[in-house]
Amino acid sequence: MRREHSDTHFYVAPLEAPPSRRPPITTVGPLGWMRTNLFSNRMNSVTTVVMAGLAVWFLWSFITWSIESAQWAVVYNNLRLITSGMYDRKEIWRMELVTAILVFLTGLGLGIWSQIARRVFIAILLTLIVLLVVPIFGQRIPEPTIYSLVEPQKAPSNFVFIGLEDDEVTVTLDPLTDLDDTGLHYVGYIESRSRAEWSTQSRAATTGELDLSDYNLTGVVRIVDQAGNAVITPDGPVEMAFTSDPQTSTVTFTLPQDGWYIVEVVRDDEANGGRDNNLGYSWLTIDGVELFSSQEEPTQRREEEYGSPPAIEHALFAEEKAYRFDGTRTFGEFISLQISPFFNRIILSVIVGSAIFFNGWLIGSLGKRERTIRRSTLIGWALALPAVVIILRGFDGSRLLPLVSTAQWGGLLLTMLLTVVGITASFPLGVALALGRRSKLPVIKWTCTLFIETIRGVPLITILFMAKLIVPFFWSALSDLDLTIRMMIGVTLFSAAYLAENVRGGLQIVPHGQIEAARALGLNPFLTTTFIVLPQALRAVIPAIVGQFISLFKDTSLVAVVGLFELVGIVDAIVSGQPIYRPYQREAYIFIAIVYFIISFAMSDVSRRLETSGAGSLRKQQ
Amino acid sequence: MGENNHADEPIIICRDVNKWFGNFHVLKDINLEVQPQEVVVIIGPSGSGKSTFIRCINRLEEHQEGQIIVDDIELSHDVRNIAAIRSEIGMVFQQFNLFPHLTVLENITLAPRYVRRQARRNSDELALQLLDRVGIPEQARKYPGQLSGGQQQRVAIARALAMQPKIMLFDEPTSALDPEMIKEVLDVMQELAQSGMTMLVVSHEMGFAREVADRVVLFDEGRIVEIGTPDHFFENPQHERTKLFLSQIL
Ligand SMILES: Nc1ncnc2c1ncn2[C@@H]1O[C@H](COP(=O)(O)OP(=O)(O)OP(=O)(O)O)[C@@H](O)[C@H]1O
Ligand SMILES: [Mg+2]
Repeated sequence: MRREHSDTHFYVAPLEAPPSRRPPITTVGPLGWMRTNLFSNRMNSVTTVVMAGLAVWFLWSFITWSIESAQWAVVYNNLRLITSGMYDRKEIWRMELVTAILVFLTGLGLGIWSQIARRVFIAILLTLIVLLVVPIFGQRIPEPTIYSLVEPQKAPSNFVFIGLEDDEVTVTLDPLTDLDDTGLHYVGYIESRSRAEWSTQSRAATTGELDLSDYNLTGVVRIVDQAGNAVITPDGPVEMAFTSDPQTSTVTFTLPQDGWYIVEVVRDDEANGGRDNNLGYSWLTIDGVELFSSQEEPTQRREEEYGSPPAIEHALFAEEKAYRFDGTRTFGEFISLQISPFFNRIILSVIVGSAIFFNGWLIGSLGKRERTIRRSTLIGWALALPAVVIILRGFDGSRLLPLVSTAQWGGLLLTMLLTVVGITASFPLGVALALGRRSKLPVIKWTCTLFIETIRGVPLITILFMAKLIVPFFWSALSDLDLTIRMMIGVTLFSAAYLAENVRGGLQIVPHGQIEAARALGLNPFLTTTFIVLPQALRAVIPAIVGQFISLFKDTSLVAVVGLFELVGIVDAIVSGQPIYRPYQREAYIFIAIVYFIISFAMSDVSRRLETSGAGSLRKQQ
Repeated sequence: MGENNHADEPIIICRDVNKWFGNFHVLKDINLEVQPQEVVVIIGPSGSGKSTFIRCINRLEEHQEGQIIVDDIELSHDVRNIAAIRSEIGMVFQQFNLFPHLTVLENITLAPRYVRRQARRNSDELALQLLDRVGIPEQARKYPGQLSGGQQQRVAIARALAMQPKIMLFDEPTSALDPEMIKEVLDVMQELAQSGMTMLVVSHEMGFAREVADRVVLFDEGRIVEIGTPDHFFENPQHERTKLFLSQIL
């Protein structure tokens, strides 16, 4: 050591510089990474173990719950509502067309401008594999427990199924008034509109203030065949009377032949002082019946074999959605009854969608250098929003595109529409406000400042209520505008105010020298702003802007409060409007939470990419 | 200088120019005439108002009293005048002030395309010629952040030249550069001076002043202390302040 040191005391380097070498390898594989990052010291190790334990516990509980007892039918049976709300069923092809156009444009854009297509491909491929493989695992459970709710407004309640000769079927009535038995206080819940009312009622039920016997169902259960004749078994006709006794009653019988059967619950109109006062509720549970698929092709086959189903009011068919898990499900049951129906509903769309995406991508990446392709893609994107709105809304009196008023739009469609309109409109507005706030003209400056500060000082929900109630009152022309458009305006103004402040932050960090250089070159203020100031300012605040857009996306859920059925609103409507799904709110809300998460995550991922893309040269200078 | 017909007609005329920043009197009765094709180097201690003065000439700063006439246009509040003047005057800054989000080529072609409304092909061609002239033809597609300081300053010169100005202003173009890079920039400036460009240069490069300047101006405390040819100025300064200043920096 010492000698080397003394050697460099006086030193002249050799004439030739040594060749450059690669940097030394500092980490060795995942194990090495873990050692340096997760278990570097005791504190770190403890934290890692604790956090990992929590994560595993959380995931494990969620997965076991969703496999063993969650009831996802609320999602897959309502996919239409969740995606498009009350959009006219006959016109649903317009939704599909619009989706196809957007998917194609996305593929085209990615093909031309992005290298990330590979990740998108892997995602699509994985989805397809899962979609194709899952049904192989899921064999049908022939005879799950089926249930239906017997309600006062829908008397008589009928359950329709296909039975085979010698099938043994069990029908059970389980009154909801049996509080101890159900554990859930259904009574108040089912009748009341709001949750608050429900909890008051169910409390009243537990304390005995509410007379539960009012809610006991009295009447008779009968099994009839397609023609409406009572089914006669060797033990006589199947019939079960039920009284005001809140105990469960059961009847088991063997079917005499193949064909359609109907379980009729006939409410006793005279009980409790007449039909309207017969408030009885009950779960109707049926065991030993095979479920059938509500999809088109199996329906056709079924009808060829057994004839068309009996035309009966208020009938529940033995479809997948009538399935009720009882206790704990196995993984096979989970796949066949929870996942398969969901996948069956989306697989065609996913395959067609992937094909369209791939086409777009192929054209885009092959035509990357073609000016016309690049230009038409840009034009396509620029026209996409108005085109989508026109196609979806249509025109009054048109044959091809009859009007579907925006009041009917709902679900994910409405959420996305509010978001996209909000983003595209609030961006230029926000930039204009930010520039206006820095204007030398006092009137413009004050107006912009006043606007920004007012909006920022008020909660979004207030703005939405103003747009709904107050503004049309002062300005009658606006009362003709439909609510959806007024909400779009509300969301846009709100987002623009916040955006303006973000952009202003960006404007402030552009060095004055940049503006001077531009002015010295003879650029007028407009050109200076457009080409020099804004590009640098906006690029600097991309994360803040995207953050703003993500919160705009999530904030659209507030329009549910003013009565629009966007994603949250429609799920609210589903779980409160369809009694069969009332117990499954958790599943429904978890599903939309996942949807929100995926979209938000995609947005922030795009933002991270924008920051580091070619534009990152901004950072290289400093 | 002196050969053309306008020899007697100065391209820049400053008469009794006064300027204040608030109560602070930055420029005091500045009188200076610059002939076409003349190279004037301005020196002076820090804070003496050199930058402020040359920035008044393309109206990055406004003077409050007196007259500044550039190429027969008097600087006033008229916006059209300002635009006309600015497109005739190129300016090079100490900190380069290149646009970091644009490539070198885009930096140079931006003004010709959007102010002069040149076709893209013409402006690109001109830009490449200019880059060749300042000695970095191979850097056209790079971003400023990828260049050395000397290269950036040469791009800045090319950018100013792209507007085909009659006058070039330089505000300490080499003070932010490492010694190694100063020469490459000064060479470009010298070549420019030889080609007949009218130049007003704030600089502490005495070698450059001696060799290239037609006249040297000393600023102190907001006024002009002495104007002279380099020979006179450096060998035989008249004013005490000049002698003191030169003794401090040489
Ligand atoms: N925008 C401004 N507001 C107020 N004072 C200013 C402003 N710009 C410059 N000054 C002041 O005016 C004086 C002259 O500044 P100027 O930049 O012209 O000096 P300079 O001669 O270029 O000095 P240096 O050699 O350090 O660049 C300085 O005292 C400076 O503090
Ligand atoms: Mg200066």
